[in-house]
Amino acid sequence: MCVGIPAKILQITSGVLPMARVSLNGEELDCQLAYFPEAEVGDYVLIQNGFVMDVLDPQAAADSLAAFAELGVLNIPAEAG
Amino acid sequence: MTQRWVLDEIVDPFGAKVLVERDAAGAVSSARFDLAGLPRVDALLAGQPVTGVPNLVEKLCGICPAAHHLAGVRALEALAGSPELTPTAKAVRALLHYGSALETHAPRLISTDRETALAMRRFGKAAMAAAGSPGHFPTTAIPGGVKAAVSAEARDGLAGAAADLLTQLVAVAVKQLQSPGTLPVYAGADVALVDLGASPDLLGERVRAVAASGATILSGASASAWDGLVAEQYVGAPAPRPYLVALGPDHGRYRVGPMAQLRVGELATPIAAGLQQDWLAQSGDAGGARAIMTVHAVEAIIALLADPELVNGEPTVEVGPCAPESVGVGWVDGPRGLLVHRYQTGAEGQLTAAQILTPTAQNEPWLADLLLSAATGSTAALDLEDAVREADPCLPCSSAPVGGMGLQVDIVSADGGY
Repeated sequence: MCVGIPAKILQITSGVLPMARVSLNGEELDCQLAYFPEAEVGDYVLIQNGFVMDVLDPQAAADSLAAFAELGVLNIPAEAG
Repeated sequence: MTQRWVLDEIVDPFGAKVLVERDAAGAVSSARFDLAGLPRVDALLAGQPVTGVPNLVEKLCGICPAAHHLAGVRALEALAGSPELTPTAKAVRALLHYGSALETHAPRLISTDRETALAMRRFGKAAMAAAGSPGHFPTTAIPGGVKAAVSAEARDGLAGAAADLLTQLVAVAVKQLQSPGTLPVYAGADVALVDLGASPDLLGERVRAVAASGATILSGASASAWDGLVAEQYVGAPAPRPYLVALGPDHGRYRVGPMAQLRVGELATPIAAGLQQDWLAQSGDAGGARAIMTVHAVEAIIALLADPELVNGEPTVEVGPCAPESVGVGWVDGPRGLLVHRYQTGAEGQLTAAQILTPTAQNEPWLADLLLSAATGSTAALDLEDAVREADPCLPCSSAPVGGMGLQVDIVSADGGY
């Protein structure tokens, strides 16, 4: 099934294809912001295959990370951020 | 069971990979889409309290958590004796589901009609919020119904925007039908949910299967019959190659999604039904089918907004506990097609086995056929990107603009080498 992993936006690079540098489990990754150009630095976002697919509130991000942690499929902490 | 997913495969922006195999003579013999970025979670869920499984699954889902939410709650209800829901519960769930379908399809329009795409997304999100799910993860349904009816204020807000969006989406669909893509004829069946009158119904309680010839294979089976309807050739695999049991693995391939929805029966909403007739007459493509189903979704929402049960009425019925040592199946026809949750419980009410069968997994064999046709050049004007876009796997690459999908193509020789 499609899997969306919450991450926090650290930096945004504007342009025709805007990009975001995000933090995921202490790792920094670059993602496409084409679907959510209105996202801002500090937002929690849902990433799937390198694209930001939705903006999450902090509680929703924490709930999602807790689900990944509960199943133990990724080495990520249960708390958002 | 211990299983770790490879993080890079899940988040890699260029993770869409096609594997093309050549025979000893160098001719293309097969092609398939790599589903490594879409892992199965089924085995990981074993041991969880069954009542928490829908919440757990939807928290993992990146694109259509509402579909998982509704299918999961329906599976719990099946374990609790399949209570008859109130009209209010049915209406609120339908509003959530149709809103989610619009939001899910919206990215497909970003590159060609940004204004309509953003209007679709806004409206879809507003419909989901009105149905009690304002955030990414839905909270609308509970076993036995929904948490609350829709407020009159939220209903009126949606009603004010629905007519304009319908006009925009009809224009998109008409334009789409004017330039249909070229698809090879699909030899498998089409499978979709229907209502009791055999009209496509995204929250239907019957599944219908129609052969390529138009002959009916299944006229309308209920979810409780699931185990006798569809089996996985490779059980639990990311690409399980499911088939209709009645026809066997060699002849029972099928597809789900908008094309299947349009081929199993006549839509019940008038504008979309008219477009459906045009689509059938021209042997339309998946883009046209998606556009028609978005028109259908808005028409269905407009009908819901006129239903007094949406805002007045009992949201729930009493429901018993989930039965131990039993099987419950819940399904919805999501924006990409049939999604099935099958839960098996143990003596203590824990989940002992799960099957989460997604539209992408069910459509993988069809996508393989399309990719082979594109790789061999047997269908003019169909390239690999077109093939992926038609079958619409649950990945952001499906929504990429023309030429921007970033497909990685690995050529494999018959002896397994590259």
